[in-house]
Amino acid sequence: MVLQKADLVVIGAGPAGVAAAIKAKEMGVNNVIIMERAEQLGGLLHQCIHNGFGLQYFKEDLTGPEYAYNFIEKAKGLGIKFLLETMALDISPKREITAVSNKEGIINLHPKAIILAMGCRERTRGAINIPGTRPAGIFTAGVAQRFVNVEGFIPGKKVVILGSGDVGMIMARRLTLEGVKVEAMVEILPYVGGLIRNEVQCIHDFNIPLFLEHTVVDVHGTERVKAVTIAKIDKDRNPIYKTKRKIECDTLLLSVGLIPENELSLKAGIKLDPVTGGPIVDETMQTNVSGIFAAGNVVHVHDLVDYVSFEGELAGSNAANYILSQALFPKMKINLKAGEGIRYIVPSTISGQKKATLYMRVLKPDRDVVVKVGDDFLRKHLPIVKPSEMLKIIIPLSKLKMLKDETKELTISCTKGRK
Amino acid sequence: MAERLLYADVVIVGGGIAGTAIARELSQYELDVILLEKEIELCFGVTKATHSFIHCGLPEEDTPLINKLSLESNPMFNQLCKELDVPFMRVGKLYTVMNKNEIKILEKIKEKGDIVGVPNLEIVNKEKLREMEPNITDKAVAALYTPTTGLVSPWELVIALAENAMENKVKIMLNTKVTQILPQEDDVFIIKTNRGFIKSKFLINAAGLFADEIANMIGEDNFVMIPLKEERYILDERITGLVNHLIRSPITGDFISPTKKELAPIENNIIMGCVPQKIKDKTDATTSKEGFKRVFNYAKEMFPSISAKDIITSFAGSVPLNSRTNDYIIEPSQRVPKFINAILGGIGVTASPAMAKLIVEILISQGLKLIKKQNFNPYRKGIPDFRTLPEEERKALIAKDPRYGHVVCRCETVTEGEIVEAIRRGARTVDGVKYRTKAGMGRCQGGFCGPRVIEILARELNIPVTEVTKKGNNSRLLLFKSKELLRKNWR
Repeated sequence: MVLQKADLVVIGAGPAGVAAAIKAKEMGVNNVIIMERAEQLGGLLHQCIHNGFGLQYFKEDLTGPEYAYNFIEKAKGLGIKFLLETMALDISPKREITAVSNKEGIINLHPKAIILAMGCRERTRGAINIPGTRPAGIFTAGVAQRFVNVEGFIPGKKVVILGSGDVGMIMARRLTLEGVKVEAMVEILPYVGGLIRNEVQCIHDFNIPLFLEHTVVDVHGTERVKAVTIAKIDKDRNPIYKTKRKIECDTLLLSVGLIPENELSLKAGIKLDPVTGGPIVDETMQTNVSGIFAAGNVVHVHDLVDYVSFEGELAGSNAANYILSQALFPKMKINLKAGEGIRYIVPSTISGQKKATLYMRVLKPDRDVVVKVGDDFLRKHLPIVKPSEMLKIIIPLSKLKMLKDETKELTISCTKGRK
Repeated sequence: MAERLLYADVVIVGGGIAGTAIARELSQYELDVILLEKEIELCFGVTKATHSFIHCGLPEEDTPLINKLSLESNPMFNQLCKELDVPFMRVGKLYTVMNKNEIKILEKIKEKGDIVGVPNLEIVNKEKLREMEPNITDKAVAALYTPTTGLVSPWELVIALAENAMENKVKIMLNTKVTQILPQEDDVFIIKTNRGFIKSKFLINAAGLFADEIANMIGEDNFVMIPLKEERYILDERITGLVNHLIRSPITGDFISPTKKELAPIENNIIMGCVPQKIKDKTDATTSKEGFKRVFNYAKEMFPSISAKDIITSFAGSVPLNSRTNDYIIEPSQRVPKFINAILGGIGVTASPAMAKLIVEILISQGLKLIKKQNFNPYRKGIPDFRTLPEEERKALIAKDPRYGHVVCRCETVTEGEIVEAIRRGARTVDGVKYRTKAGMGRCQGGFCGPRVIEILARELNIPVTEVTKKGNNSRLLLFKSKELLRKNWR
């Protein structure tokens, strides 16, 4: 095989990977290969047949497949190579990739740079330890979405959804439209986990009963789900047993969070952030392993695909720089630290030599807050924040130039206030 | 369909470890043997959820048969697993204590083990223990080391025993439930099942947790089976290398399995265990908050770096106990001597090879004539394990069948080739594919491969996708086709 000649290999053909490959190719990288384990490009977008994609990137309201199509057509036009149904089995810290496919057999590649864009997976029942029986009829929301939208099957006719992530809410609406009765959406937090627009358009508009500060305490049925018992929780998240109620259903969907998929990253010796579960990256999206970049949900779980594409492009352009002219890389001088009210920030380090774009999430929902960078270096008032809605803060170069040379760290906080 | 009548020398009721071990043992003789299993696949009863240890044979107070059979069986596993191509490894166990006063307990256990001849028992001090288990808590002061303790995958063993028995002409009937047993005048049984009648000279009751119901059918009612529930929690593969041996408390019985990389073909994630509790419902496989707390606290106490985040799944299983004795019941019935009980209990997988030989002796004593087969083939080959094969063998496999190049389960690296082969060998359900290949057993718990496995099952079995089940009976996974409900609602 001649594939060994790859300059850049992107692992994953979802929105991050395809955007990264396009950018690198446009910047002059010759041999760009995208490796994808599924049988089609686009990642999970092809099963997201609802709208709401592209408002930031295309300034247009698109469905998931439409959004993906725009990128895929462009990538094909640029002559980027795709290896479909190809699974990367191993990446070494020296960027040696071992992969396998039924067409090519075992594939060995040693590119000049790698971009990790494996995306994320759903948290499962085991990960949140729901007690009770183990019958058929328990699915994660994303798996149910694939069955309904891609395979053409409906898991059951009476559904309870645990968790209120975006996929769970989208599926509450989708299943209702399919004639399924969504008996309840049960959320352990005092607020909905996903985007506000999904709460309005999928839950309230369809009259789905929403149980906040509740959880599933038991699953019934030995062969197929027969019912679930839910209960309100106290402040330590223990169920209050006198509030128990049994809801008859044949299906339990889980929408209890997404986890970046980084088993390959670990094999390559990449350090992960315990909060995001993704690689620790600098402002170029490079990991601690030289020449291995990462972008999209593999780094941190996004709520809008548009930002995944932007992040992919950033990784793609920097990987191109790395391949074409390593000398241009600036030193990362300033660490970014999550202070009060902030759960995490991506990237973790910046150079201070160019405009810095920071993505972050707050710890809890609030109104009238001030996000502060450094002591009083930069501040921004926000009327409303939610952990489910990612914040984007830009520090202009002119501001960064005002920093003292010895500045090694900037703490970012989110506290109550109007100014 | 007309009800048919089959003839056999020996009918075995139950397709768990007891039944399949006996079937394979009997398959070396010139006999007509039929094994009946009520579930859609083998190993869907208690054996499926049992732990994987092969015990070293340390004796207990009042269980002479368990002691004898496990001590005899332990050394047989190397040969057995080699013949059947089942991964087996002697990992050794460390009975670990946290208090100097408790070393006495270890000495007592060792003394008893030495007397019956458990090989190479050794009490290790704190330093040696840390050398053997670098990540164990500082509070652990000593341990009794039992080097012959092993690990084997119970379902792999059951499947392998059954496949080898079938190769040697044992007939296995699935979905076949015994409903009535009629002992006849001429010393034979007529066994009535939901799939017809079988006339047999001998009947072996290896029905595990349901052995009392089978015994009742010939009027034997001097025992009932009681499930002893155990909860287990499986940790992410990332923990690999944290625990080297089976760690067990001699006081509470709590345990943690080892997680060596070389164990990948058996089980590569720690299974944290829990001592059992008696329950009433034989089908109860629920896990509980209390069980979790107990299991997790022990694991965390022994290995402080284990975190609740590492747990990928939990399940519960039952050990079948009988109300008559603390021991196994391996003997002919007092009422009908050609009805032979083969009822195991705790550590049944360990005891199974010697138990099967004991059954043969009992059959002979009850008048069965045994002639060795000339062409008995003791060897069985497992499904290729793509994940652990070296690169050259992987290439050869893909060259032969490209489906081995198509990874379906990403967490456990299971290929379509392995799944198709598992179905060819008898997997009929998503759980059956999972036990045979590990597809869906990893950290995403079938999130990605679940839909693919359902599709492959439907394709290979030539059934509609909506008929594919998780574990047989009424456990269908996808109840409707798209728009089907809408059409129903509109009418």
